[in-house]
Amino acid sequence: MADLTIDRISKSFGKTRILRDVSLAVQDGEFLSLLGPSGCGKSTLLRIIAGLETRDAGSIAIGGRAVDALRPKARDVAMVFQSYALYPHYTVERNIALPLQMRRLSRWQRLPLVGRLLPGSRSARAEITTEVLGVARALEIEPLLGRKPGQLSGGQRQRVALGRAMVRRPAVFLMDEPLSNLDAKLRVQMRVEIKELQQRLGATIVYVTHDQSEAMTMSDRIAVMMAGEILQVGAPHDLYMSPVDRRVATFVGSPPINLLQAALAASGDVTVSGRCIGAIHDTGPARPLTLGIRPEVISVTQPSIKRLTARVRLIEHLGSDVLVHAAIDGQAHPVIARIASEPAHTVAAGQTIGLEASPGRILLFEADGRRLDARWRGTAQARPLERVS
Amino acid sequence: MAAVALAGPAFLLLFALVLLPCAAVFVIALTDWQLGARTLHFVGLDNFVELLSDPVFRRSFRNTLVFAGGVVPATLGAGLLVALLIEAGNSARAVYRAIHFLPFMATLAAMAVVWEALLHPTIGLVNQAFQALGLPTANWLRDEDTALAALAVISVWQNLGLAMVLFLAGLKAIPPDLYDAADIDGADEPIDRFATVTLPMLGPVGLFVLVIVALRVIETFDTVRILTEGGPAHASELLLHTLYVESFDFLRTGYGAAMAVVFLVIVTALTLLQAQLLDRRMHYQ
Repeated sequence: MADLTIDRISKSFGKTRILRDVSLAVQDGEFLSLLGPSGCGKSTLLRIIAGLETRDAGSIAIGGRAVDALRPKARDVAMVFQSYALYPHYTVERNIALPLQMRRLSRWQRLPLVGRLLPGSRSARAEITTEVLGVARALEIEPLLGRKPGQLSGGQRQRVALGRAMVRRPAVFLMDEPLSNLDAKLRVQMRVEIKELQQRLGATIVYVTHDQSEAMTMSDRIAVMMAGEILQVGAPHDLYMSPVDRRVATFVGSPPINLLQAALAASGDVTVSGRCIGAIHDTGPARPLTLGIRPEVISVTQPSIKRLTARVRLIEHLGSDVLVHAAIDGQAHPVIARIASEPAHTVAAGQTIGLEASPGRILLFEADGRRLDARWRGTAQARPLERVS
Repeated sequence: MAAVALAGPAFLLLFALVLLPCAAVFVIALTDWQLGARTLHFVGLDNFVELLSDPVFRRSFRNTLVFAGGVVPATLGAGLLVALLIEAGNSARAVYRAIHFLPFMATLAAMAVVWEALLHPTIGLVNQAFQALGLPTANWLRDEDTALAALAVISVWQNLGLAMVLFLAGLKAIPPDLYDAADIDGADEPIDRFATVTLPMLGPVGLFVLVIVALRVIETFDTVRILTEGGPAHASELLLHTLYVESFDFLRTGYGAAMAVVFLVIVTALTLLQAQLLDRRMHYQ
């Protein structure tokens, strides 16, 4: 296992810039996700790390060693593909054994019949078989060793792909959306298994996904990428609580963060839909702002002059929680509040309700998306959007 | 009733143009009918017995086997090589494809006339080029030793296009992910990529091309008729040509029909083999 350093990688295909000066450091034994929407460049970055694509500028180092001039097989990385890329004409055992065969047997020793008779071939092959069996046992696919990929289910194929990567004990595992082709239930189960595997092996994993829940549940750190740039790198909790950009705030978290149009006065007063909800220190000039409020931060109360009012449009029951969709006058989009089921049975569609939120959990974003890190004034006083008690 | 009405016309055509003549051939093979004669007599299996000892037929049969045995592997090999080269290239693929496919598209009879000019012993381009390069020349179509080989070269030239397009389609169907996986696994030399990914994935296509090309090669007629007429001394005689000559030149149609039966058996065996092999191979993703 080793650490991975990505230093100012740039890549363009023709005139389109896919990656812009991307830098990232992955610790030894860390599970890092590259999270972003389709087309943001995360798969391209992964392929550049693997050596399957060439970079235009920048460098990659694995375990302190620069690998830019090395071919994929020399970089000591293993990759799990979204489509698994198993050799359909080989058995599961041969699929897993192939990387070892390529490395340990010479071309003569690999020949179908004659190769086995050459000196050294038998002991090398026996070693390989032992290692393949070990990996198959660890992944619980030992009974499948004689089958071909076409005879396996999606989940089983996924494990074979993992086995093929694991058997080499590489410095870094690269995974390109390996769970995307599985059904939802299997995906949740495999998430846990992959995470447990990583902890057991102490493996360094770079995991590409567009599914924020996958990234949040599995990663030690997440790197959020958009349009070829890394917006933020941090632990899931930090990304969720302190996003540095509005795009990061919207991408992470489900249901997505509520965004409200607000205005900041020179005095520091923040107004939403004409109602002043508080004031902040160190403001700068008057300008429009966006407020970001997570659904679970909003509580639903009786409507009153002192609170922000909204009309309920829709209720979604999740069992343990309820999602209340409510429209605020003057706001383009409805807000979603997540509240516990018990008090929720009094809320119905069409009702007018009041909304409250603790100011410490309200995020402020500038017009260009950057987070404005400011402190609210006088938090002891009750404010319209403030939780009572 | 509707089923009969809809399938009826097609079935009638099939019956009249294929099944009936086929049955007729089997029947005529058991007679001594001469083309155009008003009477015929049943002679049982006499025609087949005569076939077994006929030196011309035996030569023709042997020639066909040797011909196919040489042309089919050469066509497949060359077709695959050209397909691999075109697929690996980055530019002008359509041009190379068209160039190699043209011989297949062209009317073989017309091309045969061109080849006759090319293979002319004195003014033909082939001999002129060979002379310039210091290679031995020969009277390609009139020499017993080279006539069949010359026809074989022409056959490869013509069928290569077919093998190539089929292999190209097969190559395109290989998922590029597999090559990426092979690269990472360590199989990144061209020969390793070929052995680990390309060749196995082309298996079913290869079998299909094999049988298709074999059928075409066994049915070679135009070149023999136009260029050598089976000569000199039956050195380039091929089955279909012998059959034609007996039936329509010598008018011994009964005897020719017996040859047709033998020919039909070979072709049917090949087609059944293809169906069997393809059927078994269908069961994988």
